[in-house]
Amino acid sequence: MPEMEKKDQEKLSFDVIVVGAGLAGGTAALMAARAGLNVALIERGQTPGGKNYFGGTVYTHAMEEIFPDFWTRMPPLERPATEAGYWFLSETGLTRIMVGGGELSRTPADAYIGLMAKFANWWITQAQAEGVFLIPKTLVVDFIRDSAGRIIGVKTDRPEGDVYAPVTIICEGVNNLLTQKAGLIDHDVKPERVALVVKQLISLPTETINARFGLPDAEHGLAVSVMGDISLGLTGLGFIYTGKDNVSIGVGVDLDVLDNHHVRPYDLMQHFLKHPQIAPLIAGGQMLEYGGHLIPEGGWSQMPKLYADGVLVAGDAAAMVNALHWEGTNMAIIAGKMAGEAAVEAHKRKDFSAGSLKVYEDKLKDTFILKDLKQYRNFSKFLINHEDFMSVYPTFLNEALGKFFSGFGKPKREVYKNILGSLTKRKPLLKAAGDILAFGRSILGR
Amino acid sequence: MFHALVAVKQVPDTTNIRIDPETGNLIRQGVPTILNPYDAHALAAAVEWKQKLGGKITVISMGPPSTVTTIRECIEMGADRGIVITARQFAGADTLATSYVLATLMQYVHEQDPVSVVLFGKQAIDGDTAQVGPGVSIRMGLPLVTYAVKIHEINLEENYMVAERKTEAYNEIIRTPLPAGLTCEKEIAKIPYASLPNLVYSLKYEPEIWTHETPVMFPLDQIGLKGSPTWVFKTTQPELRKGGEVLKVAEMGVGPAVKSVLEKIKSSGVLNAVAGGAA
Amino acid sequence: MTRRFWVFIEQENGKPHQVSWELIGVARRLAGEIADEVAASGEEVLVEAIVVGHNVKSVAEEGLKYGVDNVYVVDDEVFAHYRNQPYSKALVEVVQKYKPEVFFIGATTLGRDLAGAVATSLGTGLTADCTQIQMGAIKEGGPKLLLATRPAFGGNIIATIVCRTHRPQMASVRPRVFPMPDQVTEVKGEISYEKVDLTEDEIGAKIIKIIRSEKEAANVEYADVLVAGGRGVGGPEGFKLIKELADALGGVVASTRPCVDAGWITYDHQVGQTGKTVRPKLYIAAGVSGAIQHKVGMQDSDFIIAINRDPKAPIFEIATVGIVGDLFEVIPAIIKEINASKEVQHA
Ligand SMILES: Cc1cc2nc3c(=O)[nH]c(=O)nc-3n(C[C@H](O)[C@H](O)[C@H](O)COP(=O)(O)OP(=O)(O)OC[C@H]3O[C@@H](n4cnc5c(N)ncnc54)[C@H](O)[C@@H]3O)c2cc1C
Ligand SMILES: Cc1cc2nc3c(=O)[nH]c(=O)nc-3n(C[C@H](O)[C@H](O)[C@H](O)COP(=O)(O)OP(=O)(O)OC[C@H]3O[C@@H](n4cnc5c(N)ncnc54)[C@H](O)[C@@H]3O)c2cc1C
Ligand SMILES: Nc1ncnc2c1ncn2[C@@H]1O[C@H](COP(=O)(O)O)[C@@H](O)[C@H]1O
Repeated sequence: MPEMEKKDQEKLSFDVIVVGAGLAGGTAALMAARAGLNVALIERGQTPGGKNYFGGTVYTHAMEEIFPDFWTRMPPLERPATEAGYWFLSETGLTRIMVGGGELSRTPADAYIGLMAKFANWWITQAQAEGVFLIPKTLVVDFIRDSAGRIIGVKTDRPEGDVYAPVTIICEGVNNLLTQKAGLIDHDVKPERVALVVKQLISLPTETINARFGLPDAEHGLAVSVMGDISLGLTGLGFIYTGKDNVSIGVGVDLDVLDNHHVRPYDLMQHFLKHPQIAPLIAGGQMLEYGGHLIPEGGWSQMPKLYADGVLVAGDAAAMVNALHWEGTNMAIIAGKMAGEAAVEAHKRKDFSAGSLKVYEDKLKDTFILKDLKQYRNFSKFLINHEDFMSVYPTFLNEALGKFFSGFGKPKREVYKNILGSLTKRKPLLKAAGDILAFGRSILGR
Repeated sequence: MFHALVAVKQVPDTTNIRIDPETGNLIRQGVPTILNPYDAHALAAAVEWKQKLGGKITVISMGPPSTVTTIRECIEMGADRGIVITARQFAGADTLATSYVLATLMQYVHEQDPVSVVLFGKQAIDGDTAQVGPGVSIRMGLPLVTYAVKIHEINLEENYMVAERKTEAYNEIIRTPLPAGLTCEKEIAKIPYASLPNLVYSLKYEPEIWTHETPVMFPLDQIGLKGSPTWVFKTTQPELRKGGEVLKVAEMGVGPAVKSVLEKIKSSGVLNAVAGGAA
Repeated sequence: MTRRFWVFIEQENGKPHQVSWELIGVARRLAGEIADEVAASGEEVLVEAIVVGHNVKSVAEEGLKYGVDNVYVVDDEVFAHYRNQPYSKALVEVVQKYKPEVFFIGATTLGRDLAGAVATSLGTGLTADCTQIQMGAIKEGGPKLLLATRPAFGGNIIATIVCRTHRPQMASVRPRVFPMPDQVTEVKGEISYEKVDLTEDEIGAKIIKIIRSEKEAANVEYADVLVAGGRGVGGPEGFKLIKELADALGGVVASTRPCVDAGWITYDHQVGQTGKTVRPKLYIAAGVSGAIQHKVGMQDSDFIIAINRDPKAPIFEIATVGIVGDLFEVIPAIIKEINASKEVQHA
C-alpha cells in the first residue's frame, strides 16, 4: 500500500482493483496481493458478504487450493455435508433419494455447509491478512478510461472518488451492471436466466436438528435439493441445509416464471414451509433471516466476454453457476484465483491489453468451470421448454412408490397398472420417455 | 484555535435486535454495531464548524476494543484524532461511572489542548438514558445546552457560542461562554458523505488506546461495575396486552365491519366522556 | 429517622406539568408499600415535593392538594426560566439538606436534562425513563428498595434497576404512565421556602430568545382520543384523512416514527419508545404495523382499534378490535357513520 497522507492526497492508485468482496473478489484480490501487488478490494456493503446469513455449501477442493493450511485457520463452517441428495414432494408425500456414508464420510468432507455471509466475511479477513486493502461502503459506478478507451480505473459514488489501476477485476455478483459498462456483455441478466431465491434462516437447538433430520451429531449435516410440490406448480428448486443450530431453507424460481404467473415470492416460501412433510422439520424454530437473492442460471449461454483491455470478470457476474447443482461458490473461488493470477502475469509483462489478459480464459478452459458450464449449457433451456418437469415427475414418483408400498391384498399386476396409470394420466408415455431423454441430454451436455 | 471534542458511543443497531425467547437475553449474533446515530450528527456539526473556523476535532469513546471501528468511522467523517478508552475494569459502568471516566479524561484532553465545545448525542439508542451528556458537563463545570438543534454562532475571539435547543413547547436560543457542552438532536447537522481519500485514511487510522491506568490512574472503586450505583436487578420481555376480535372487511363488507366496531366502542363505555363521539 | 419520598414539581411560568402530580401519586403509593417496615422500626415516612422557579407559590399550593406533607420552594428571579446549571444547583443543595431516600423527576425534556446533572452532582444512581415503579426487597428479608423498571434496547427488553447503597434513589418517570392521583379533601401539608445563594453573574448560559411556533404542539399525551396514522397512510396527504377522523371524534392525530422521519407529520405527534407514551380512552391505529417500539407507547390505551390490510400485522395482537381492510375504505366509512349518528342526535 503506498503511503497516503490525508489532506495532500494526489490520486489513489493501486496495481489491481477488485470490485465486489464476495468469494470471487476476495480470492482474486488475495492472489494478487500474495504476489506482492497493491490491491484495492472495493465493496459497496458495510461488511463483505453483507448481512444475509443464509446457508449453502462450500467445497473443500476450492478452499484447499487457495489455503493449503485451510483447516488450521479455524474457518467458520457449520457442518460437513455428510448426507446429500434429492427430495421429491407431492402434495402430501415425500420421496427421498439420499446418500450418506461412503464417499460422503471422508474427512475432511468434500463439501461443508456454511452461513455464506459469515464465511465470505472470514474469507475476506484472510485476504486482508495477506495485504488486501478493503475499501467498504463504496459503490463503484463506472470506469475510467484512457484516450484509447482502455479501462484504467474506476469511479465510485464518493466525492473525490476515482481510483486508478492498470487492471480491474469485476466480481460484482449477479447484477452485472459494471460488466455491461465494461462492454463485456450487452444486456441485463435475462429474467428467464436468473432465479429468485427466497430463503429463511431458522434457529433450532442442535439436538432438535439432529433428531429431526436423523443426524447422529453436529459433525454430520444434510444438504438437499427439493423438487416437486414446492413452487406452486412452477419450475423451481428448493433447498435445505442444516447448520449447527440453524436450518437454511428456501426455494428458487426463475424470475420470468414468477412474473408470468403473478406469484409472489412470499407465497412461494409459505407454501413450501407449510408442506405437511416440511413443516414438522422446522416447527417451533425462530426465523432469524428472511430474504431474497438472485442466482444466475444461464451458465454458458449467458456468459459475458471474460476479458477486455484492462478488465476481467469472475464469479456470478460471469454467470459461473451450475444451475442444477447450485454450485457457485467453488466456481467463484477458482475463477477468482485465475483472474488474480492473470492480473499478476499481466503486471509481469507490463501488458494489460486484452491479448495479455486472455491467459485468464485459457486457464479457465482447463478447469471444471468452463467444462461443466458447457456441459450443462442446455439444462436451463430444457427447463424452459419443459415447464412442468419439476412438478409432474416428483408427484408421479411419490404416487408410484406410495402405491407400491400400500394397497396390500390386491393383485400386484393391478398395482403396477395403477402406477402406470398415474403417470399416463399426466403424460402420454411417449412424451414422458422424451422428457427423460431430453433431461439426460441436457445434463450430459449432448 | 477551534477544538471540538465529541463523545461517541458504539451501540447495537436496535432495529435489528432479537431477543432469545427462553432466556430473555439479547441475541448478539448478527446484530451489527453502529455509531450511535445522534453522536454521528453531533460529529457532523463539529465537522461543519471546523470547515468554517479551521481547527480540529477529537473524538473520544469508552467501550470494548471493537470501538476502534467506530472511531475509524468518525475519522472517515472528518475527525482528526480518535481516542478509545478501554479496559476490563471499565466494564459494567452505568451513567454515573461513565460520566466520571469521560469527564476525567476529557479534562485531561482539555488541559493539553484547550477545547472550545464538547458535543454529545442527545441519547444513546441502547440505553436511551440521555444522562451522560449532562453528567459530564456538570462534572467539568461546563454550561450545557441539551437537545440542541442548531449552532448559530461560535465566536472564538469573544469566547461565546449561540445555540438553539428544542423543548416540548418551543425553541430557545441560548448564549453561553466557551467551553460549553451540547447534547445534539439529529437536526443539528446532516451527516456528510465522506470523500474517498478520507475513507481510505480512516481505514488505516490507529486510534489512541487509553486504559484505567494511562494517562490517568483511576481508583478502581469508582469505575466500571464497582463505581456504578445502579444495578440491573432483572430483565424481562415487554408484556403486551392480548388482542380481541378481528373483523375482515373482505368477508363481511366495510359497512357491517364499521358498524360492529362502533357498536363495540359504544358498549365498552370508553367514549361516554368524549364529546361529540359516536357513542 | 424520617424516610422521605420526593417529587420534583416541574413548572413553566407558574404552570405546573401534570406529570408532577402523577409522580406524587406514585410516591404516595410507595410510602404505603413500606408501611410495614416503617411501623416495625418506628420510623416516619413523608411524601414531599420541591419546586424551583419564580413566583411559584400557587404551584406549591396546588401540590399540597395532592396530599404531600411538605412542599419546599426555591423562589428567585434567577430561576424564572429553566436552565440546567442553576436548577441543578438548587436541587442539589436542598436534597443534600434533607437527604430524601427516593427522588422522582418527570422524564420530560426538562426533567431528563435536569435529572442527569442532579444525579451526577449528588454522585448517585439514576434510572431514566421508567415505566414501572415499586418498592421491593432484592433478597429475602432485605430492606425494600426502589425497583425502577424501564425499557431498553429500543423497547426490546424491560430492565428493573436498583440503586443499592447510594441515596437518594433517583428515577425519571415518563408522563402519562401513571394515573393522576385524587386530590385530598383536607390539605395538611405545608410550604417552606429554601434559600439558595446564586446570582445571575454566576450563571454561564443566557437565554436570549424564545421561539414559539405559530402552530401549537400537538398534545397527544393528554388527549382522550387519538387517531394514529402509520406508514400505511402513504404520505402527508393520508394524514388529512386521519385528521378528519380525529376531528369527527374530537381527538388528536398521532403517528409512528417512520412518518415523522419522512416528514409527513411533525415529531410532537410521534407515539412510542422515542416519542410519547399515551394512554387515551380510545386509540385508533391505521396503517400501523405495530412494531414493539410503537406498542410500548400506546398499549395502555383503554380501547384500541387497529385498521390494517395485513391480517398478520402485529398490531392485531394487542388491538381490542381489529379491522382487516384498506384504511382508505374503512376510515371514510367510519367518518360517515359517525356523522350520521351525530345528525340523529341533533335532530
Ligand atoms: C440462496 C442461495 C443458495 C446458494 N447455495 C449455494 C450452494 O449451496 N453451493 C454453492 O456452491 N453455491 C451456492 N450459491 C451460489 C453462490 O452463493 C454464488 O455463486 C457465489 O457466492 C458468488 O460469489 P461472487 O463473489 O461471484 O458474488 P457475490 O457473493 O454476489 O459478491 C459480489 C459482491 O460485490 C459487491 N458489489 C456488487 N456491485 C458492486 C459495485 N458496483 N461496487 C462495489 N461492490 C459491488 C456486492 O455487494 C457483493 O458483496 C447459492 C446462492 C444463493 C442465492
Ligand atoms: C430505537 C428505536 C426507537 C423507535 N421508536 C419508535 C417510536 O417511538 N415510535 C414508533 O412508532 N416507531 C419507533 N421505532 C420504529 C419501529 O421499529 C417501526 O419501524 C415503526 O413503528 C413502524 O411504523 P409503521 O407501523 O408506520 O410502518 P410499517 O411497519 O411500514 O407498517 C405499515 C403498515 O401499514 C399497513 N398498510 C399499508 N397500506 C395500508 C392500507 N391502505 N390500509 C391499511 N393498512 C395498510 C401495512 O400492512 C403495514 O402493516 C423505533 C425504532 C427503533 C430502532
Ligand atoms: N461509553 C461512552 N463513551 C463515549 N461517549 C458516551 C458513552 N456513553 C454515552 N456517551 C455520550 O453520551 C450521550 C448520551 O448517552 P446516554 O446517556 O447513554 O443516552 C451519547 O450520545 C454519547 O455522546
